[in-house]
Amino acid sequence: MEKTHSKRNTQSPARRHSPKSRSKTLRETMYGGDEVSAIVVDLGSHTCKAGYAGEDAPKAVFPSVVGSIDQMEVDENDNSEKNSEPKTKGKRKLYVGSSAMGYRRDHMEVLPSIKDGIVTDWDIVESIWDHAFRECLLVDPKEHPMLLAEPSSNTQQQREKAAELMFEKYQAPALFLAKNAVLTSFASGRATSLVVDSGGGSTIVAPVHDGYVLQKAVSASPIGGELLTDCLMKSLESKGVKIRPRYSFKRKEVRPGEFQTVDLDFPNTTESYRLYCQRVIASDIKECVCRAPDTPYDDTSYSNIPMTAYELPDGQTIEIGSDRFKTPDVLFNPSLIKTIPGMEGSLDIAASARGLPQMVIESINKCDVDIRRELFSSILLAGGTASMQQLKERLEKDLLEESPQAARVKVLASGNSTERRFSVWIGGSILASLGSFQQMWFSKSEYEEHGSSYIQRKCP
Amino acid sequence: MAMAFKMATAGMWVADECKNSFMEMKWKKVHRYIVFKIDEKSKLVTVDKVGGAGEGYSDLTASLPDDDCRYAVFDFDFVTVDNCRKSKIFFIAWAPSASKIRAKMLYATSKDGLRRVLDGIHYEVQATDPSEMGFDIIQDRAK
Repeated sequence: MEKTHSKRNTQSPARRHSPKSRSKTLRETMYGGDEVSAIVVDLGSHTCKAGYAGEDAPKAVFPSVVGSIDQMEVDENDNSEKNSEPKTKGKRKLYVGSSAMGYRRDHMEVLPSIKDGIVTDWDIVESIWDHAFRECLLVDPKEHPMLLAEPSSNTQQQREKAAELMFEKYQAPALFLAKNAVLTSFASGRATSLVVDSGGGSTIVAPVHDGYVLQKAVSASPIGGELLTDCLMKSLESKGVKIRPRYSFKRKEVRPGEFQTVDLDFPNTTESYRLYCQRVIASDIKECVCRAPDTPYDDTSYSNIPMTAYELPDGQTIEIGSDRFKTPDVLFNPSLIKTIPGMEGSLDIAASARGLPQMVIESINKCDVDIRRELFSSILLAGGTASMQQLKERLEKDLLEESPQAARVKVLASGNSTERRFSVWIGGSILASLGSFQQMWFSKSEYEEHGSSYIQRKCP
Repeated sequence: MAMAFKMATAGMWVADECKNSFMEMKWKKVHRYIVFKIDEKSKLVTVDKVGGAGEGYSDLTASLPDDDCRYAVFDFDFVTVDNCRKSKIFFIAWAPSASKIRAKMLYATSKDGLRRVLDGIHYEVQATDPSEMGFDIIQDRAK
């Protein structure tokens, strides 16, 4: 069973992790928490984070959507030269990872692995896990305990399916499923807190009490980073800005320092891929220029706001004014969506979703009276969208105005944006490396003895 | 069984001295406060510091490090509006922002083990900076 990884050569990306850990036996893997590091995976709706337990940031961060081409249409000469090997699943080929997704292919559709916290397609999840283990981390899943972060209200069926795959397909020696909100809470040193996790596909407010998620008080909204990106993109489009995907043009240097942009035409590009590429750009614009306004947004007070310049990949420079503030304010006031031309598809969200402060108050009010005070004073921000500039200040201000007088409102967020963005993964990473955690694993032999439903007992 | 509870009770041991000091504080009133720390290597919660009966709350806050986590208990003596002498014991989980995430995680997941041994805590406070465990907050809670 003594297997070393030196054979697994390849173009390994910066593997600074010492080789000590990955050459131990299975037995040591199980019980020597310090000997072999566990693998921690946080598969979100937008991004997959994966890495070794004990480290302070995930080694691999890549999109949790994949490219898919139906087999009959595969053009034999356009694959295989790229660094990521396509995977064959049934009659379609899946392309996973940032670089594979960055390469345009005829008829390649972009498919999500998760929607609203529910796995939509397990084959895609498998292809993402495969990519994380075999291409990013270069590990054999047989040798490492696996800690998977899961949404706070994950269903029993999904948890059992995950356990089944991990033990049957990947032959993992041990598994643990930990709730996102609990990991964030522990990572900030609190067993009790209110976790506001605003990610790509949704925003979830979950109270954690003594390390337990109070399920009945969890409050969720479909407003996350992706919806904000769409709002910004549509708003810019309505003002005449054309975001050209990177594959659709070529820039030539005609004279030193002077460029000419030439349009390229690929008629077989799918609509979903074009949109994916545009969103990548729009999301970068959002991260560069947007910040939450100090007070609720309205068109008149922001009409004279100074413009900020942003250079698009094709070389054109655009000016962004009120959208810088209007876009993030959608989190606080979803009905703003109605005022954005082109967002008609999300009108139901505009009508039904509540703003962030209301979600927080609603969630706290569903909890026992005795712990409300403590929740108000330990509101933790987590997730990529929560890293938005001024979001913490704005949320704290709104809550001060709307919360009961006696409450001491305190919104906490790590000053470090990596820690804020990856708080779930980091929490899992540290948890899995603690000595006192090692007794917690759901082991393969327990799985074999009790079956997948035992996950409910081992990881409640 | 909750994750934190199991980790704290089965994965971490609380040294006898923790319980003994606490009992001395509670029954004999010989300590004003006790600070506890975790030794990760030996998986043991031990007594870090004991404050004499004459010391005050500020002595406790001064004994907590800026960049590492601790647990503390504080015996708060006060006189109520109707001239009644009262004593309330506070449990404080101290996890300052500047401490390592590993320490925060360790203390947050190990708390239950110590809490279970200390019988007779009235209030619990979590704090990441001094303002969250100000004396005003202690007074406010004991009202």
